[in-house]
Amino acid sequence: MNLRIAFGQVFAHPSYAILAGLLAILAFLLAVWFPNFGLIGEVFAESTTPLSTALGIALSLLGGIATNFSLLSAGYTIAIAILFGLTTAMIVFVVKRRRIAAVGQSIAIGSGAAASGVLGIGCAACGSLILGVVLPFLGAAGALAALPLQGEEFGILSVVLLFVSLLLTSRGIAQSIACPLVGAPTADTANSV
Amino acid sequence: MWIAGFSRVVLAGLILIATAANAQTADRNAADAALVGRVKDTVIKELGESGAIDRAVDAGIARYIERQRAEAEQRERREADKRAAALRPVTKGRDHIRGDAAAPVTLIEYSDFECPFCKRFHLTAKRLVDESKGQLKWVYRQFPLDELHPGKARKEAVASECAAEIGGNGAFWKFADRFFELTPSNNRTDIDTVLPQIAGEIGLDKSRFASCLDSGKHDQRVAEDVKDAVASGGQGTPWSFIVSKSGKKYPLSGAQPYETVKQLFELALEKK
Repeated sequence: MNLRIAFGQVFAHPSYAILAGLLAILAFLLAVWFPNFGLIGEVFAESTTPLSTALGIALSLLGGIATNFSLLSAGYTIAIAILFGLTTAMIVFVVKRRRIAAVGQSIAIGSGAAASGVLGIGCAACGSLILGVVLPFLGAAGALAALPLQGEEFGILSVVLLFVSLLLTSRGIAQSIACPLVGAPTADTANSV
Repeated sequence: MWIAGFSRVVLAGLILIATAANAQTADRNAADAALVGRVKDTVIKELGESGAIDRAVDAGIARYIERQRAEAEQRERREADKRAAALRPVTKGRDHIRGDAAAPVTLIEYSDFECPFCKRFHLTAKRLVDESKGQLKWVYRQFPLDELHPGKARKEAVASECAAEIGGNGAFWKFADRFFELTPSNNRTDIDTVLPQIAGEIGLDKSRFASCLDSGKHDQRVAEDVKDAVASGGQGTPWSFIVSKSGKKYPLSGAQPYETVKQLFELALEKK
């Protein structure tokens, strides 16, 4: 219910719908291109490579969502991108109305979701990110094999956290338009004056 | 006498003129300073109101960020070049090569037999080599991820080296093709059954294969490949390089689509 009210409030403004869409696309691009930023930088930086070729390579890499992700990881990567776009646009809506306190918890949970999402997306391919950077740093490389989904749990956790963050933000927005201001005259008190 | 009186008058006149001039200069300096102060205040006020100061500060910050970004990019590129330079050159005696060994473009792949994405990429690479009309050769190197596939990936890597030792380069590729065809990946392979089965299917002497597997003689070679993979920047599998004849290297992480690898192959082909 809160979700519907908040969506109505926020996305009635086209600018927030556009912001959510752009953020979702950006998150998706980052997730899919992430393992090959080096290659993309290489082909775009090379003066002898035609721009059309560089663009063609970058665009074709987006097909990696079908080849370099399992069905599960592709699903949660898309879900993370969409939820990230929606939640961030709604948080921006609230912050712009200077009601930061209402979304403090959502921002905290959303940040946790983002970190978990990075780990989850890193686990999509065999070992990328997780193996190379995060786990050796944490001294827990071997622990990954013990997880039933070999790290994809992080992606699922990220979806759950982002959804919780979205619900909390929605509640903040919905309640702020539903609750009367404390101490403001109600219909009864106003009539009695 | 009159000369002395005249001199005194002249001297007094000079002193008067100098004093007056000094007074005038002091007045003018004070007026100038006041004027400069007023102009300064007006200019600062104007700049403040027009937002020019803010814009100048913003532009300065933007220039600083841009400079930092460019430096970071250059650093990153230098690091990438260093990693690519760490890639061991392809040698016919040491490496498993598929396709024409004299092909101008080389695809070097570091792979793990238990990785489902390597299984997928194996078909992509095979198709490209088959379609390249001798323009692309494929080099297979070992990168078993013990953290993800403990106990199996490394043994399978050694098994493929045993296949190469007993049956040559052709046997290695037959082993790899059949292994990826037959096994479910993600450390679910029953290696005690599958490895001898494949050895038999591709015509290897099963007892020689078994003793090779137990000998540990290829452990060092597999470990060297893993070391090369990590030194060249590999953080997961499949980890590949498309190398042009001139030596230009394009790093590719993951089982990327056929279209991407084909475009990179064509780009590398142009660099010869």
